[in-house]
Amino acid sequence: MSKIFYDHLIVLEEVEAEIKNSAQTEEERHELWQLVDEIVHSKVLEFLLDRLPGVHHNEFLEKFHAAPYDERLIDYLEEKIGENIEELLKEEIGGLAYEILDEIRN
Amino acid sequence: MSAHKKKSITADELRRKLKVKHLAQKAKLSAKYPKVERFFKERGIEPEKIREHSAKILGAGAITGALLLSPPEAIRVLPAPQELVNKLKSGESSIALKTPQELLVETLSPALPEKPRPLTRDEEKYLEQLFKNIIGVDVRATLQGEHLNTTYGNIGTEQHLMRYPGDTIWEHRFGDNLVEGMAPGLGAWGYFAPSRAAMSKELEEIEKWYVVVQTLYLPDWNRRQPYLKNWYKYRKVLIVNTQNGNAVVASIADSGPAAWTGKHFGGSPEVMQYLGGSRYKKGPVIVFFVDDPENEVPLGPVDYNIISLPEIALHEI
Repeated sequence: MSKIFYDHLIVLEEVEAEIKNSAQTEEERHELWQLVDEIVHSKVLEFLLDRLPGVHHNEFLEKFHAAPYDERLIDYLEEKIGENIEELLKEEIGGLAYEILDEIRN
Repeated sequence: MSAHKKKSITADELRRKLKVKHLAQKAKLSAKYPKVERFFKERGIEPEKIREHSAKILGAGAITGALLLSPPEAIRVLPAPQELVNKLKSGESSIALKTPQELLVETLSPALPEKPRPLTRDEEKYLEQLFKNIIGVDVRATLQGEHLNTTYGNIGTEQHLMRYPGDTIWEHRFGDNLVEGMAPGLGAWGYFAPSRAAMSKELEEIEKWYVVVQTLYLPDWNRRQPYLKNWYKYRKVLIVNTQNGNAVVASIADSGPAAWTGKHFGGSPEVMQYLGGSRYKKGPVIVFFVDDPENEVPLGPVDYNIISLPEIALHEI
């Protein structure tokens, strides 16, 4: 099993289609998927830490490190940030998808 | 969408562009929050490798149902699968007019969480019994010690796979199934046969009824090679659309989808057509291994309204 608490919010279907159309082997596909996964992860962390008050950063990182899969981290973040993090994160990742596609296609 | 969609970028170009983007994003995070990199490094983890870290924790069995999942309260109050079947057979008035498929859908609804997620062992055991008794296929969430990343998730449409060198989309015609096209690359196990002449009816059926599962994210995938790759090759699974009860036996023939697609499985055009019709592109399903040591269960749709419980047909008349 492999899971990160925000997986259900990330849908980059057009990026997936670009990779499928370019990669010729399973190994190539997996390498490209991994790169996207790492870009998404850095972006999500930056987005969350931008909004989470600094006083909670270490506590969040500890919780995240202990159980990266635990979807209750969303509840924790919403409580500390006071906003609908799921919706905001979806919007942010939508923007990231646009950026990636723009860079791939130009 | 089409197999002949123009290839706008090579894999090498795409890799280069994604690496540049990756390094830029990583540098941005490090500059803004240097403590993040420090935090993970002190714990021996590259910040971007958090998925591997998650897989290791989950794979080590550190997780319990209470940690990740809501307690399967619904399972405790549901009727036993055999009890449901007995009621169907005896023509009990409350359910006698239902087909097995209607009964399955009604039973699945309260038994499953609202959103797809990995199921608990109790939930999986209940569903194994339910499928065996109502659909009539012997299935296991864990077979010979192997378990998928998740058994309850979203399936999305895949393209046809190239079966042999020189295969074309037109060779895949089994009705109106060509709209998705053919994947430009090979599946995880390469060509199904070295040539067209070497293709068999069995291999044709495997490609026709193929499914994609996330083997690449299994926590021990890299460590247990080549065993796992061989074990999963063309392994039969039962896929059940939890919204309408349509069920199909399929064969694992590729790995994916990526974790960031919102999908956990992929189905061939034929699999998806049967599960939900020609406009069905994505939806929740349960995927269990078929326990079929003698290779007796055929690939393709499972019409359990006819074959599983013939007594019900009489009630319907």
